[in-house]
Amino acid sequence: MSQYHFNDDLNPFNISSFGSVWDDPLVTNERLEILAWLSPLEPRVRHEDIRTRRVNEVGDWLLKTEEYRKWLGDVRGGGSDRAALFCYGGPGVGKTYIR
Amino acid sequence: MREGLLERRNIFLIGCGVSSLVADTLREQAVKENAAVAFFYFEFAAQEEQSPSALLASVLKQVVGELEEVPERIVRAFRDRGRVVGDQRLLPSEIVEFLQDISSSRCIFICIDALDECSSGHREDLLDLLNHILQNSPDIRLFMTGRPHILSEVEEHLSGRTATRAITPIEDDVITFLRAKLKEDTIPDAMDESLEEEIMRNIPETVGET
Repeated sequence: MSQYHFNDDLNPFNISSFGSVWDDPLVTNERLEILAWLSPLEPRVRHEDIRTRRVNEVGDWLLKTEEYRKWLGDVRGGGSDRAALFCYGGPGVGKTYIR
Repeated sequence: MREGLLERRNIFLIGCGVSSLVADTLREQAVKENAAVAFFYFEFAAQEEQSPSALLASVLKQVVGELEEVPERIVRAFRDRGRVVGDQRLLPSEIVEFLQDISSSRCIFICIDALDECSSGHREDLLDLLNHILQNSPDIRLFMTGRPHILSEVEEHLSGRTATRAITPIEDDVITFLRAKLKEDTIPDAMDESLEEEIMRNIPETVGET
């Protein structure tokens, strides 16, 4: 058993609850101060924004590819020399649109 | 109209859609498997700020945020330096060390979106740092998306450590996406059956042409 506990904070409809620690009444001020000191960035806000615009099932095929499963499966199996997976998509993908 | 839809479709299939999907899927699994998931979205507009150390710091913050307690060494570093004048931050080498410490008790997944939007100078340094991390921490895993022109650079810096996968929009995805978007139409009167049919027939045909 690990010394750490994973907080269940999956809640697609409530942005403010995404960061589990913010909701915990036992959280100390120092903990919040430390997190803020570590990094001022809040990538979860952007993540939530993108998540709400995703369409269900689109892209799911990627999760079934051999490359992805191998990359993930190797995690459970322990060490592998392919710890990274790079997915590349064609030019003109219109990433600018969402900014 | 066609262009607009195509543009959007690509974003969701190739860009952030994939990273966000993978990050969420990993998070669901992470709950069961005692893992931590961190993500980072690169943006052209933020190239200056999005340095390798900013990325690492953000990753460490997200990982620590999922731990019940902040590791003692990080608390000490904060008490020694976080409160002094000038607000000294951790060095990249320290962040790497902390991440490695934490990864000895749980898997860490790092998802990086749009690596091509990272400035090229920063990107080389970042890839070298990531390579170093992966080399020393078997329980840290890295998922990245980006445009094809950086493929060789990624492979070169993460030599032998990275698998690659081309992402091309597939017709099923385009159809699913279009149906969902058409349902969301805020001016339903502008749409009739024949127009919808035409959209559903013509746009998926262009898959792969862009």
